[in-house]
Amino acid sequence: MSAPPPPVPRPATSSVPSLGYRILAGGTRLIPLLVALVLLPVAVLTFLRSHGVTLPVSIVTVEVAGVVISVLSTLRYILRPTSAYGPLSVATSSVTVGYLLVLWVQSTYRFALPNSSVAIAVDYSRLVELALIVPLLALAAGLVTTVEDLRHPGERLPFDYPP
Amino acid sequence: MASSASSPARRPPGLYRLSRLLRRLSAVVLLVLVVYLATVGYSAYELASSSHQSGGFSASFASNNTVAVTGSLSVTNPGFYPVSGFSIALRIQNSSGALLGQLWQGPETLAAQATTSFPIALYLPIAPNSAASSLLENDQVLTVGVWGNATYAYLFPVSIHFDQNKSWGAPFADLRVSLGTPTIVNGALVVPLTLSFSNDASFAELGILTTILESSAGETCGTVSFTLNVPSQTAYDQTQNVVLTSGCSVAGGSADSTFTGEGTTVALPPEPLP
Repeated sequence: MSAPPPPVPRPATSSVPSLGYRILAGGTRLIPLLVALVLLPVAVLTFLRSHGVTLPVSIVTVEVAGVVISVLSTLRYILRPTSAYGPLSVATSSVTVGYLLVLWVQSTYRFALPNSSVAIAVDYSRLVELALIVPLLALAAGLVTTVEDLRHPGERLPFDYPP
Repeated sequence: MASSASSPARRPPGLYRLSRLLRRLSAVVLLVLVVYLATVGYSAYELASSSHQSGGFSASFASNNTVAVTGSLSVTNPGFYPVSGFSIALRIQNSSGALLGQLWQGPETLAAQATTSFPIALYLPIAPNSAASSLLENDQVLTVGVWGNATYAYLFPVSIHFDQNKSWGAPFADLRVSLGTPTIVNGALVVPLTLSFSNDASFAELGILTTILESSAGETCGTVSFTLNVPSQTAYDQTQNVVLTSGCSVAGGSADSTFTGEGTTVALPPEPLP
């Protein structure tokens, strides 16, 4: 008679914050996200434009992409205990990848210094390509989480929200 | 005995660990990129604010019928990142767009937190009928086109181009060779030859200018030499007698002048004689 397999050690409990708390925390978290992804880039673009340096990326693109990524990220945070977390992670990362691809297409920037014959071209495509690693890794993580939630719903909660 | 329901997790499931690892890697890459961008921004600002000197440029006659424009470019890079593949190209054109000379320097690496100097030497051919021969006798405005290429902080290829107009003062500006009335001295035909020009160049002319008078058939009729010690921005006007070869007529001929200085010989464009 063979011995029974050892039980998989797993915490059975988790301390998932309430929806109201998550909304409050997510809303608070949204503020620095908007500052980093919208206000700061728009301020830099506006400052450069006021000095005669117009980058190829439009302010509207930065605003829309920044707001969408921030909102998706906040939703992901709020819905982290649910099975929507994985798909939202994938969506957030996908939008970020798309945003970076838009920047990549416009990543050779040529400008002329005002009141001079000086023309400068800067290529930052390699930086954008490196930056793509960040959302691509997050995208992969989101896919893995989606698969995990499909196979074992709730399995990750005790680890995401330890008691 | 502790039950499995109450025992803490010692090892999360594989998928969870994989997802967590990917998220952490993503966060680490993001952090590295943020730090990199911050230091690049700071370094680029320091580089742009530092003093770059392109001083000591001077022009002079060089060997092989050339005018040498020499100097140095000193670039200070106080930032954290090197400037690699730094190369610079110069093209000098006259007012009509003719290319007089060009230079390609590099590629070099400007080390971080260091000053790097580049010697620059551009030789413009001034032999008769060459594109730059007009530099000898004509003051003019030259267009100096500058192209620079480099890769900053490993990831940012940067190119820069600008044009600058430079006034050129000719060393033999408005050169004129004029002949006076021939006379017979001791049975030989002697003609006074007046050489006049203005040294508008930035350098003094020290040497001997030899003028050969030729007939319209190319026969040498006479030779005269002038000793030059003409400071910059100074006019020159001297007359000497030339003994002409018997039977040789300079009418319709030309005066071919050659300047010989220290280590250099410059042939000036022929001056037609009336």
